[in-house]
Amino acid sequence: MTEMLSYDFMIRAFLAGIIIAILAAISGSFIVLRRYSMITETLAHSALVGVAVGVIAGTSPLWMAVAAALLSAWAIEYLRINFHLYSDSVLAIILSGSLALAVIIVSLAGAFNSSLFSYLFGSILSVTEEDLIIMSIFGVIALGLLGLFYKELYFIAYDEEVARTSGIKVDLLNFLLVSIVAIIIALSIRIVGTLLIGAMMVIPTVAALRFRQGFAKTIAIAVLFSLLAVIVGMSSSYFFSLPSGATIVLALLFIFIFSLVVNRR
Amino acid sequence: MKFVSPIFEVKNLFFQANAQKILDDISLTILPGDYCAIIGPNGGGKTTLIRLLLGLEKPTLGKIKLFGQALNQFKRWYKIGYVPQRASQLDQNFPATVLEVVKMGRIMKQGLFKRTTQEDRDAIQEAVTKMDILDIQNKLIGELSGGQRQRVMIARALASKPEVLILDEPNTGVDVVSQQRFYKLLRELNQNENMTIVFITHDIGVIADDIGRLFTVNQSLLTCNNPKEAISCEDMSALYGIDAHLIHNHHHH
Repeated sequence: MTEMLSYDFMIRAFLAGIIIAILAAISGSFIVLRRYSMITETLAHSALVGVAVGVIAGTSPLWMAVAAALLSAWAIEYLRINFHLYSDSVLAIILSGSLALAVIIVSLAGAFNSSLFSYLFGSILSVTEEDLIIMSIFGVIALGLLGLFYKELYFIAYDEEVARTSGIKVDLLNFLLVSIVAIIIALSIRIVGTLLIGAMMVIPTVAALRFRQGFAKTIAIAVLFSLLAVIVGMSSSYFFSLPSGATIVLALLFIFIFSLVVNRR
Repeated sequence: MKFVSPIFEVKNLFFQANAQKILDDISLTILPGDYCAIIGPNGGGKTTLIRLLLGLEKPTLGKIKLFGQALNQFKRWYKIGYVPQRASQLDQNFPATVLEVVKMGRIMKQGLFKRTTQEDRDAIQEAVTKMDILDIQNKLIGELSGGQRQRVMIARALASKPEVLILDEPNTGVDVVSQQRFYKLLRELNQNENMTIVFITHDIGVIADDIGRLFTVNQSLLTCNNPKEAISCEDMSALYGIDAHLIHNHHHH
């Protein structure tokens, strides 16, 4: 155990994982309660376009991933609101569209290789110092915004209409929430990977909800589960040389099953 | 004559949805301290009228003023408490305790950093006591009965210390004893605190001798300013639902 923490890359991975675990659980709870879980999958695939561009252009893929995920989040909201399309079909369209774009960019550059694999499923070896700095900066901003608007977001999730008549700027805050989620998803790509990040946003809250508590306690439980899954998952990734995204999601699944069994009614 | 700025001022309001006329040339004024009921047949546009007053729908034509301000410029929403009809349709499994829901009513009174002040705590305490939900304040909303949930929603509205309380069919699915207690409370709020009350209801018989003004909505509007003495108001309203045109003509001649 101590040997594991003697490696710099492992310390970086753990720090990154802890940031992601906290942010994903908190922002994910609002998304889950608004029945909007699928947006996480779509944004993750859009972030992959950014990664592809970053890999080819030689810039930091993380910056590009954040930019791509943000653009995608705004496009989704724009399409949903201005064209009165069904939310889930918009998500499906942008998901496939993003993946297609990413694959084409990568193919043209002839860059189908193992580094791409790590973006799909996460890797504890891949977190650079620059990544950690970017994650910390955006992480603090995202956490600050969530802290500032947590009461409003909670009101909107429960009762959007009365939130509106109470003077809460519902549209602006919805927009803010998807933007925050987009950033968090893009940042998570290193650790959890594009194809598995959705679980990280959704499972902690769904498991926490089984304990039937008020909102503050539900979020606290979700964060706890999320941290536990990241620590167990990344340790197993180290010991068994497995992609960290997969081990984290598997840990989350065990937690989910545990919450089902413990709270059987 | 002392000038009182009306709480709601509606002029020549029209509302259409999908090429169907819902509200037709509605004008009304609600003054501070008014105690009004809105009645009318289902689909007559009662709820739409309220949603328009609250800015949840945009009028096809016409002007709405809140506290003397055009609706799209109105900012002091905490002055208005709203209890919608579909309280029972909200997610029963949503993770929220009674107290957490009531606290939502204070959000817009708090600053950017949402520090809970003594004033917040007092307002919450008062709303919880008034609605008699003190003993269930730590329960989850999913564990409550329909009547209890309705009281929680009203407590949330009261927590912001509103000057107007708007309720859409507040007694749907609530037993008779609770209903009577509920009307007593509305009357007290109106008389003791001069709170303006506007509510949509079906059971006009129960409250006819209480209310100050009666609005009957069936595409167009019929205002009855003294339902206490003019008993015919009630009859008219009943008729209005069945034969709108007959009453409509009465009204104009």
